Amino acid sequence: MKKHFYSHIVDSVSINIELNQMQLSIDEKNHLIQIIDSNIHLSVVDTVLSELAKEDKKTFLKHLSEDNHEKIWQLLKEKTENIENKIKKSTGELKQQIIKEMKELKKKK
Amino acid sequence: MLFGKKKTHYQHLREKLVKHHQGLHKRLWKKHGESLKWLKESSKQLVVGSAATLMLLNPATALTPAPQHNLMAVKQLADEIPDKSAFVILDLRSVLPSEIRPLIPGEEQVISEILSRDFGIKVSAELEGKKLNRSYGLIGAEQHLARFPGDNMSVHFDTPEEARLYTSSGMAPGLGGWGYFTTNGEFTEKDKLKEKYYIAVPTFLAPGFSDNPHEIINFFKHRKMLVVNPENGKAVVTVVGDAGPAEWTGKHLGGSPEVMSYLNREDGSKKGPVLYFFIDDPENKVPLGPIESYNKNA
Repeated sequence: MKKHFYSHIVDSVSINIELNQMQLSIDEKNHLIQIIDSNIHLSVVDTVLSELAKEDKKTFLKHLSEDNHEKIWQLLKEKTENIENKIKKSTGELKQQIIKEMKELKKKK
Repeated sequence: MLFGKKKTHYQHLREKLVKHHQGLHKRLWKKHGESLKWLKESSKQLVVGSAATLMLLNPATALTPAPQHNLMAVKQLADEIPDKSAFVILDLRSVLPSEIRPLIPGEEQVISEILSRDFGIKVSAELEGKKLNRSYGLIGAEQHLARFPGDNMSVHFDTPEEARLYTSSGMAPGLGGWGYFTTNGEFTEKDKLKEKYYIAVPTFLAPGFSDNPHEIINFFKHRKMLVVNPENGKAVVTVVGDAGPAEWTGKHLGGSPEVMSYLNREDGSKKGPVLYFFIDDPENKVPLGPIESYNKNA
C-alpha cells in the first residue's frame, strides 16, 4: 500500500480484520482496500483543506502533488492546530461507517 | 456468498464504497473547488502528477468505470496536452495495481475504457466470449518468424537499418503457431506487417481451451491485440502470431523484436509489464504497428 503523509496516524487494521472475515478472493480484497484507501485519502484532504487559508491550500496541494511529506507537515504545523487529531477523527468516523456496512453485509448471509 | 440472484460480498461492498467515494469527491470539490481547479490547471504543466493528486482530480480512478461527464472532461484535458503518452501513463497509474498480477474484471473494464478513449480504438479483455488467462503481465523477447518457405535473416529486412537493428534477434527454428505468414500462398505487404508486429500468447492457458481447443486456436489466429507499456505510454497494434511462452519461463507473453524495441521493453531480468487487450475490429480497419500516428489525430 502506498505511503501517504498521514500513514503514521491512520491505520486500516480494523478494516482489514473485517475484510478477512468476508468471503473475498485476494484480488477482490486488494481491490476493495484500494477503494478504501482512496476514500480515506479524500477524507484526509478535505479535513486538511478545511483548516487552511486560500493561499495555504495551494501550497499544501503543491506539496501533495510532489509527495513531499516533510514540507506538508512543516506547513500543517505552522498553519493549523491539532490537525493530527482532526485527521484521526474524520478518518475514524469514515472507517466506523465502512466497518458497520461490512458487518451488516456479513449478517445478510 | 450470493445475495438474491447475483451479488457477492465483493460486489455489494464495492458498490457501497464507490458510492462513498463519489460522495466524498463531490463534497471535496464543492468545498474546495477553487483550489482544486488551480491544482488541475497546474498539473497540465507538471504533466505527470502523483497518485495522491490523481485521486483528487480524477474520480474515475481504480474504483469504477467513470461517469460519462467525467470521461468527457478528461478527454478535453487530454486534447490540451501535446504528448499524449504522458496522459496514458497518468491514466493508467491511477488504476494499475502495484504488483504485476492478473487484473480482476472491474479493473479490466476501467482499463479497457481508458485505452479505448486514449487511443481511439475499441479494446476489451474479452472478445466474442474468449479471453486470455490474463491481460497484464511480463513480456519477453521472441525471435523473428519465417514468413514464407525460404525466408531467412538475409532476406528478412527491407532496409539496412532494419537489418542492423534486428538481425541479432535471429529466426526461430520452427514456424509460428499458425505456420507461414502468407495469404493463399502469396506473401503480401499485410503479411509482412503481421510478422513484424506479432506477439506470442499462451492460447493453451485460455479459459475453455481444454473443452474446445480448435475453436480457441482458430479464434486467436492473427487476432489483433493492443499492447501497451504502461510505464512510457507507448502502444502498438499487433497480431497473435505464435503460441507461448511456457509458464516456467516466468513470462506471460512474447513480443517480436520490433514490438519489444518500440515498447522499450527488455528481456531477461529486465523484462517488464505490458497491458494486452483485444481490438474489436470486425472490418479490419485498424492498421498494424506503433500507434503514435493515431495520437496526433485522436
